[in-house]
Amino acid sequence: MTIAPGNVFGFWMLIAISALVIYTIRASERGKFKVTIRPIAGLEAIEECVGRATEMGRPVHFSPGLGDIVTTSAPDTLAALQILSYVTDVAAKYDARFLVTIRMPNVYPLATETVRQGYIAANKADSYRDNMVRYVSSDQDAYAAGVIGLFHQEQVASSILAGLYMGEALLLAESAARLGIMQVAITASVMQVPFFVAACDYTVIGEELYAAGAYLTNDKGRLGGIAGQDYIKLIVIGIILIGTLMTSAGSNAIQSLLTM
Amino acid sequence: MRKEVPLLITFVVALIVMLSQVTTGNIPGLGVAMPDLFERYISPWMTVVSAFSLCLASVNLIVVHSRNISRKQSEWIYSLILLGTLVIYGAWCTYIQINPDNTAAASNYSLIYNYILSPLMTGQWACLAFYVASASYRAFRARNLEATVLLASAILVMLGATPVGGVIWSKFPVIQRWLIDIPNMTGQRALLIGAAVGSFVACLRTMLGIERGHLGIGGS
Repeated sequence: MTIAPGNVFGFWMLIAISALVIYTIRASERGKFKVTIRPIAGLEAIEECVGRATEMGRPVHFSPGLGDIVTTSAPDTLAALQILSYVTDVAAKYDARFLVTIRMPNVYPLATETVRQGYIAANKADSYRDNMVRYVSSDQDAYAAGVIGLFHQEQVASSILAGLYMGEALLLAESAARLGIMQVAITASVMQVPFFVAACDYTVIGEELYAAGAYLTNDKGRLGGIAGQDYIKLIVIGIILIGTLMTSAGSNAIQSLLTM
Repeated sequence: MRKEVPLLITFVVALIVMLSQVTTGNIPGLGVAMPDLFERYISPWMTVVSAFSLCLASVNLIVVHSRNISRKQSEWIYSLILLGTLVIYGAWCTYIQINPDNTAAASNYSLIYNYILSPLMTGQWACLAFYVASASYRAFRARNLEATVLLASAILVMLGATPVGGVIWSKFPVIQRWLIDIPNMTGQRALLIGAAVGSFVACLRTMLGIERGHLGIGGS
């Protein structure tokens, strides 16, 4: 077994940055350095979202996005499930009516277990209902139509959209905005960010989606991972700068290295 | 065991998937390549798990909508339509599978899709034009410096993209192209690189069992 041609640099880079991230996670857990994340307004607003719904006696809606857990959208969906875990804790604490809508069947059991365990952990097992997590449809259009219908039917007060979104992002967000629903959108889907910014009260963009779990739980290990992420970005910036300078000077050494 | 087994499965499967992307040739002692190992042993399990998940999700769908109908909750009629369509499609498809020679039944199977669902979906997407207008109106109100810059950029891009813009001033399409290719692309690529790095670290944390909230067994 050998490293496939064209992947040599990628393989060793993978090993190196994995080691770097593991080091920062362990170092942070042992207290060798303290990681702080700047305040993210959108994530701070989640509690306000749930509180608002509780005061109004209406449900708070959560969607873990359109992604699956077996494709390239898996990191987005898993990050959304981390956020779901936090939102469940807050909803259980406030005794808020809680609705989670699911597009991909694979996500359904994970979301159900996350919500159920959240209510058990908050000593509110009696408040958990099996219709809190609802599978809507794996068809993108039908999912959007179903969720919009639910906004009307259940008179949702707040909506948190986390994870991967596609063309229906504006359908969901603008429909909710017209109904006066308070919204927080958390996504790394670059093409949908403008729509969420235009229609939602708070938008958390890009890598902040993956940092949300660490931010909301303040867990040292997860925070260490975020620090490792920043070090990787410094390495990437370095490679981009060196590559730009060398290419401008007529050398293609960096391209050769990257495609080794 | 409830924690360890799922975490071990996650680690082993993630390692196989990761190595199947970057390695070639047989694994010493096993006589099979990493990509084949993934295709032969991991991929079928994904189908099995997906089938079980779909079954669970369908039960949830039927229970929720049956409850809506039995309790005559608001807009219960839509729940009835949903369950009715589910039954009709299920029965029809089963009939076609049992009687493959009945070509009329097979060709009419797509009637509901082509003449009801497809126009409804088209109508739904058509609403987006109005939604873009109303969302843009809210976003473009020049309340602060950022919104003013956004408004000015939007006007320039719209003028450059429409034929009338080029007639008013020939430089509008050039400015539009520059706005899209340089500042817009720079921002998008920065977001993409950040998201890719974040995505990788999130995967690594999940692989190592540091992230385990999705298993319903708490954090690290």
